[in-house]
Amino acid sequence: MVLEALEREGVDYIFGYPGGANLPIYQHLAEFPKLKHILVRHEQGAAHMADGYARACGRPGVVFATSGPGALNLVTGLCTAYMDSVPMVAITGQVVSTQVGRDAFQESDVIGATSSVTKHSYLVTKIDQLPRVIHEAFHIATTGRPGPVLIDICKDVQQAEADGVTPDRSPAARKADFDIPGYRLNGHVNLSEARRAAEALSRAERPVILAGHGVLLSHAEAQLQDLAEAAAAPVGTTLLGIGSFPVKHPLSLHMTGFMGTGWNLKAVQNADVLMMVGMRVDDRVTARLADFAPKVKTFIHIDIDGSEMGKNVRPQIELVADAKQALAAMQPHVGSLDGGRSEWLTQIDRWREEHPLRYKHSNGHLQPQDVLIDMYRRADNEAIVVADVGQNQIWAALWWNYDRPGLFINSGGAGTMGFALPAALGAKFARPDLPVWCVAGEGGFVMTAQELSVAVEHQLDVKIVLLNNFSLGMVRQFQDDFYGGIRSQVDLTHMPDFVKLSEAYGMPAMRVEKFADIAPAFDAAERTRGPFLIDFRIDPEANVYPIVPLGKSLNEFWEMPEK
Amino acid sequence: MRVLSLLVEDGPNTLTKVAGAIRRRGFHVRGISVGPAREAGQSRITLEIDHGHAEADQVRKQLERVVEVLEVEDLTENAVHTRELVVAKVAGSELNGLLERGAKVLLQGADGTTVEFSGESKEVGEFVDELARHGVVDVVRSGPVVMRRTA
Repeated sequence: MVLEALEREGVDYIFGYPGGANLPIYQHLAEFPKLKHILVRHEQGAAHMADGYARACGRPGVVFATSGPGALNLVTGLCTAYMDSVPMVAITGQVVSTQVGRDAFQESDVIGATSSVTKHSYLVTKIDQLPRVIHEAFHIATTGRPGPVLIDICKDVQQAEADGVTPDRSPAARKADFDIPGYRLNGHVNLSEARRAAEALSRAERPVILAGHGVLLSHAEAQLQDLAEAAAAPVGTTLLGIGSFPVKHPLSLHMTGFMGTGWNLKAVQNADVLMMVGMRVDDRVTARLADFAPKVKTFIHIDIDGSEMGKNVRPQIELVADAKQALAAMQPHVGSLDGGRSEWLTQIDRWREEHPLRYKHSNGHLQPQDVLIDMYRRADNEAIVVADVGQNQIWAALWWNYDRPGLFINSGGAGTMGFALPAALGAKFARPDLPVWCVAGEGGFVMTAQELSVAVEHQLDVKIVLLNNFSLGMVRQFQDDFYGGIRSQVDLTHMPDFVKLSEAYGMPAMRVEKFADIAPAFDAAERTRGPFLIDFRIDPEANVYPIVPLGKSLNEFWEMPEK
Repeated sequence: MRVLSLLVEDGPNTLTKVAGAIRRRGFHVRGISVGPAREAGQSRITLEIDHGHAEADQVRKQLERVVEVLEVEDLTENAVHTRELVVAKVAGSELNGLLERGAKVLLQGADGTTVEFSGESKEVGEFVDELARHGVVDVVRSGPVVMRRTA
């Protein structure tokens, strides 16, 4: 019954792990050859794989887990997807309905444990609820602001006779399924507000547009570029918005936020009109909220989730709508000020020259930036790049160089270490046609490294760029810079030999310790079909710059020290 | 403080999810009452919520995101009928101060008298203050019940 419903929803991959409370589903899995099940090595891996899958192709990721520990192991993955608005449907087994509440073996209150990290959730105790629930779950996960939906199905429901509850498949019945009284979808653009927004942007002397994940989710990259060009307004992206605007475009401000580029932060802090599209405007974007974009007279906020309006920054003009539709509605009314605008763009160019991204080339150590620059040269606007969390993530973000939209996948809102490897595998299942690069530090990598088995089992052509500095680099940097220079519990000297570890899993790997070996190692990786890991032993003191000290305003960003 | 009237699905997960949405955003429930709504399968929740540092309207917006919540009406600063119920037992036998305010006697016994009173929150508050002068043994207050005032 569950599997039939999934087939009807067009599911191709399921990432899961069987156990006592979902055995009835697994019993029939082989009867559904269209459903390809990927056996993960830990449920968290399943959630991240489904997440990477969904981000790479836009279809919802599907996850199976059993009750109790199986379901609870999904929590971090659900939270990661929830924070970043990723469509996902997680189906967990629950103990037999008459056992619920009796502390049965492997029973846990999954709805209670996950309700704050899911868009919606269901506990199914009767078979006749099941077809509607599954259909609704996919609808809710994928529409509006996407997010994970969890369906907890009691074991007796999984094995109940499905006779007589075959769902009505007529169009009218399907439409009725989507009539969920408590589910409010925003999508219609308020045209007069769109016009006001366009006029405010056009009249601005110093406009800035910031683009978030919502632009990618709504596939509004072309609309964004058209609008920015028509308005001659520079565009920065959030960490999750990377890929939504070409970095080499003359109007690009690259990444914003407390580890954003200097010229971006200067632009944001001096803008008079700031348009924020498909983003939450969280603390990583604003730094000290009271000093965020202090010269702005008109904030314009576009987001499909109305609760984002004024949650952090109160906009003067708000458009609660899909980004693509909202930008398209603005387009006919957008122009740019003659003369005045060129002064602003010239100023930004000056900031771009004054505050370039810099790193140390020649201190005898291998520099992560050199590694990533070579990787991006090979990616050539095409490859999906999946980053983990920490310094590796910010370096991968800042050296992103695509001159057309592309896919940069990482855990932005939740900041989940261990995300990259399983998410990269999920992305490769979703897009086998594209190269996939996985960038991770050694700390995050070992949190989910067991999923290498999945890479090897399916011979997934994913190249792992391990930026290994034998420490928790971002935490070490924070301790050095903001916590009195006291290094506490950041030393990761005792780690496996990653080349041997890869070989133990059955995949080739190389170690690189100097600049000259970067290119040959990447050559070897590209020649190899299937997974490949390169253990780059990078400068243990390499830091992320620019950076805004904790609690400071965006104006106060630090650049790389000269010394 | 916001006063909200919610129409919700009458289901086992609803109250958890409503409470979770409130707690997670740093809001605080000052008053709550729940009862069946006019339509079968639906309940009415009346809430008095302190919205903390968030914009006042965030309470409504966050509750609207909960799928089990069918309707949210923000009644703050609207013309409404508000009623709260209090049931109390007092030791003293001199009840004039309470009866003058409109209290109804539910039970009179050797060890005290049980009375009920309903009114607006402020009146109920004053009634509770008055109870103290009568040797209050026990007092129970309901949450608020609020309806928009229409002619």
